[in-house]
Amino acid sequence: MPPAGIWIDGLVQSCIYMTMAFGMVLVFSILGILNWTHGQFYMLGAFVVYYAVTAAGIPFPLSLLVSGVIVGALGMLVEKFIIERLTGPGYGLLAVTAATMALIFFFEGAAGMAFGLMAKGMATTLPGVLDMGVFSISYQKIAVIIFTLIVMVAMYIVLNRTKIGKAIRATAQQPDAASLYGVNVGWVSLIVMGIGCALAAMAGGIMGPVQSVDPFMGRIPMIMSLLAIVIGGLGSLTGAIVGGIILGLLNSVIAYKISYLSEVVLFVLVIAILLIRPQGLFGAASK
Amino acid sequence: MIIGRLYIDQKSVVPKVVIGVVIALLAIVPLFTTSMVTLSTLISSGIWAVAVMGFILILRTGQFSMGQAAFMAIGGYVSAILTLNLGLSYYWLSFLASGVISGLIAFAIGLIVLRAGGTSFSIITIAFGEIVRIVALNWEDLTHGAAGILVKPPPPINIGNFEINFSLSLVPFYYFMILLVVASALFYWQIDRIRIGGTFRSVAANPVLAEHLGVHLMKYRVIAFTIAGVFTGFAGAYYVTFISVINPLIFDLWKSIQIMMMAIVGGPSLIVGGAIIGSTVLYSLGNYLSQLPVPNVQYVVFGAVVVLVLLFLPKGTGLVDLWGKFWRKVFREPEEYEIPGEFADDEEE
Amino acid sequence: MIKKWYKVSSLLVAVVMVLTLLATACAAQQTPAPAQPTGPITINIGVPMPLSGTAAPWGQIPTPLREAFVQVLNKQGFQVNGQTYNLKLIQVDDENTPEGGSAAAKELIESDGCKFFAGHWSWNFSAIAAVTNPAKVIFLTRNGAPDALPASWGGGGAYDPKTMPYVVFGTPSQEEFLADCFALVDAFPNYKKIGLVDSSVSKGGPGWVAVGKALDAAGVRYASEWFAPGTTDFSPMLTRLNQEGCDIVFVAGWVGEYMAMLKQRYEMGYKNMKVACSGPFVSMDIYQAVVGVDAFEGAIGSYEAPWAFKKTQVNPSIIAQCQEAEQIAAQTTGAPYDYTGEFPWVPAHVEILTQAMQQAGTVSDPDAIMKAIRGGTFDTTAGKWTMSGAQTYGSPIVFGTPASLCSIQNGKEVYLSEHPMEPLP
Repeated sequence: MPPAGIWIDGLVQSCIYMTMAFGMVLVFSILGILNWTHGQFYMLGAFVVYYAVTAAGIPFPLSLLVSGVIVGALGMLVEKFIIERLTGPGYGLLAVTAATMALIFFFEGAAGMAFGLMAKGMATTLPGVLDMGVFSISYQKIAVIIFTLIVMVAMYIVLNRTKIGKAIRATAQQPDAASLYGVNVGWVSLIVMGIGCALAAMAGGIMGPVQSVDPFMGRIPMIMSLLAIVIGGLGSLTGAIVGGIILGLLNSVIAYKISYLSEVVLFVLVIAILLIRPQGLFGAASK
Repeated sequence: MIIGRLYIDQKSVVPKVVIGVVIALLAIVPLFTTSMVTLSTLISSGIWAVAVMGFILILRTGQFSMGQAAFMAIGGYVSAILTLNLGLSYYWLSFLASGVISGLIAFAIGLIVLRAGGTSFSIITIAFGEIVRIVALNWEDLTHGAAGILVKPPPPINIGNFEINFSLSLVPFYYFMILLVVASALFYWQIDRIRIGGTFRSVAANPVLAEHLGVHLMKYRVIAFTIAGVFTGFAGAYYVTFISVINPLIFDLWKSIQIMMMAIVGGPSLIVGGAIIGSTVLYSLGNYLSQLPVPNVQYVVFGAVVVLVLLFLPKGTGLVDLWGKFWRKVFREPEEYEIPGEFADDEEE
Repeated sequence: MIKKWYKVSSLLVAVVMVLTLLATACAAQQTPAPAQPTGPITINIGVPMPLSGTAAPWGQIPTPLREAFVQVLNKQGFQVNGQTYNLKLIQVDDENTPEGGSAAAKELIESDGCKFFAGHWSWNFSAIAAVTNPAKVIFLTRNGAPDALPASWGGGGAYDPKTMPYVVFGTPSQEEFLADCFALVDAFPNYKKIGLVDSSVSKGGPGWVAVGKALDAAGVRYASEWFAPGTTDFSPMLTRLNQEGCDIVFVAGWVGEYMAMLKQRYEMGYKNMKVACSGPFVSMDIYQAVVGVDAFEGAIGSYEAPWAFKKTQVNPSIIAQCQEAEQIAAQTTGAPYDYTGEFPWVPAHVEILTQAMQQAGTVSDPDAIMKAIRGGTFDTTAGKWTMSGAQTYGSPIVFGTPASLCSIQNGKEVYLSEHPMEPLP
């Protein structure tokens, strides 16, 4: 049995993968595409928070919201000007997949040119470690866990209690029927993309103090949240949350047990899931 | 439907005589210049073009593979390991083996994996590529881990008094690249002409209809995946010979994405032309931009070019379609594109 | 009729287009020969460096210092056969990949006319050596890149002294890593166990076998651990090392990973675990910002400022040059320049090259210069060194910097210990 520190470490990772995967699945359920640039929105969010805190002097929690708004707006622009135009009739999955993948290069390169390639840090935000005897946990990591809880509760309220949330869920289930009932599907897509990217940005922002901030920081969370989605099932929001939790804990425990080969285990697991149970743990048979 | 227009009859876009002239001109490039930089750019573009052709063939069966670089890695490793153990005189045998083994692995993987379609298939191929990389990194007895294997140039070939020596200049590499590209281009064209090509076309044009007409989709997907595996393996083997080393870092996920980008920019509607145009444009551009004193600009331009091509060229048909349009405008050619919707054009051999 | 015109015209257009392409390609290469200057003649030195992508900081941070050092040297220039020469560094992005290195090397040799490469660091040794060797370009590099490791260390390495006569291992990073371990032991004689940590990318590299043997022979207590490239979460690894009883973790020169380990061992509560890095500190500010002030305290890293060495003698005039270069670098960057790790790289390589040219009495004959480098003695930024003989990996060449460590106290680098570097058996 791994020590408590490993489980805590896994839980913190779970939180981030969960938030990322939730945003990706939300976009997937409405737009029917995987946004491969999701990790780069995470990276941009971290940069926005970094500059908001260090250059503009905005308090950290407020900077998180700022980054959510700014990067969410950027995500909406991407949806409006790129994704929407590439998902019309006559276009298929390839065009939009290729476009979002090309944006990975674009955003990473642009961030490198604009912000420099040197790592940046915000370790002075929420410094200190809480020593619990058996294990210890830094305040930054506690902040990650609290943040994730708040986000998840907020998302639950938005999706279940608000008008726009109902519109989103209706569109996810039956786009045609939803539009018959007066839901503007194009608008819902825009909102969903904004929410998804804002979630990624805030996840990047909250991880800014824990890690270093650099243009390539989005790659691993992206791949990991992709794997989380596969475990949970493509298109299932519950699946994204559970997949994120499983993946984060699994990653820490496997890394603790077998060190650097843990990657192989994860990839083999994902291939096996996709072949044996393509709908994942929670997904309905996806199409 | 994967992408708007997956097939254009190349005869209506580029007349055969032009192709011939371009090949003839490319063949005399070394007379004009023996510059290492120019020749290297052309050689690399050509090798990537072969890999891109494989990607487009798979694309025609409605799948997109994001693990094509893994087959280049397999091809490269097979040829490097065989040459290392058998001796340099077996270079060409190892080269042939690289394509065969890469094809066999593609066949085996395809049988298992192609069942999962669409996004699942793409994710699986990503995972496959990563596994190949990690295995290459950790199977030290065979692959020498991160140190990689030094790949020596092929032994000199003597034809009468004339010696082709690969270690003295890049010109033999250049000609062999042309040979490789022409051989694979002829093969892919030939596929287009015979019955199986018609099937690919019909699968590309309308997979549902094709299946209803009795086309066994899975079979054609595996065939396409295997053929692509063979040629991508050759490309990988030749690429590592050209840059003289293979290690697990060369063919990673980003190279697979790069192959996809080249296909998009060139235009997946024309299997050979699109691949050649896409790889040449993107590779030369990237190579040129990376020499500029502005770090990272190549990634920005790379991403922007792909997005712009997708946005502004109709239905994602790439630069090759633009060329076709230009050609018709300039010469007022009466024929329109034909997009065959039915398979088996009775052009069997 | 129309058809014929169509064919002919298409042919014409194709011919014209390809010819224009070729003409521009040729014109681009034939840059006019520079007019013979009356003053000092400038020698171009190619520096293939990662300037974009994930490894870019390694290429970018040292740039001000190496430019400043050459600027200091050029004030007087150096004399060969009565003619004064100046140096010019030409940096080209090699993207830290073999294909990038190959392209950069071709560009440097062909377009910039470089006869010498120095300061090479990237993971593309064999790709560059494959270009420089046939062109008789003298290539100064390190031996720590995974593919550069000599074959006689257990096979798999690319370096072969017979077929690569123009390669000079100007910076033996493997030996330095080993000497750093000994320096750690010198500094903390009561250590329990050292945990050696490196990316699995270097695992199985023959150099590790040699380092392990040398440590066993010296009776150093150690454990090895590997992490997958790109790892950001080291808590599982640190937990395991802690359970194995390691009180020192020694990281093989990875800046981002090192910072993450410093921070994470602090967060995991392993306060007695010292974390050391075989690389120098890139910049105090970055470490403090990423790691946090408290967790950064006590961090250990290489310290290669020539004026700080206590056991190695460095020529005072070279120390003066280094200090002047550091001041210029601070002026150009507008902030204190505290990256000392560059001194044993390009500045040392440049010293070797210029002195070898003077000893050989030529700047253009690579064979004569190589003859001077083999077994020659050179006064460099890292002390006076004789290129040792054939005792190291069948190569006639090895060159060393001392392993000097510092630890961080109150956010400042404080000299810790030093251990002389010896060739690996």
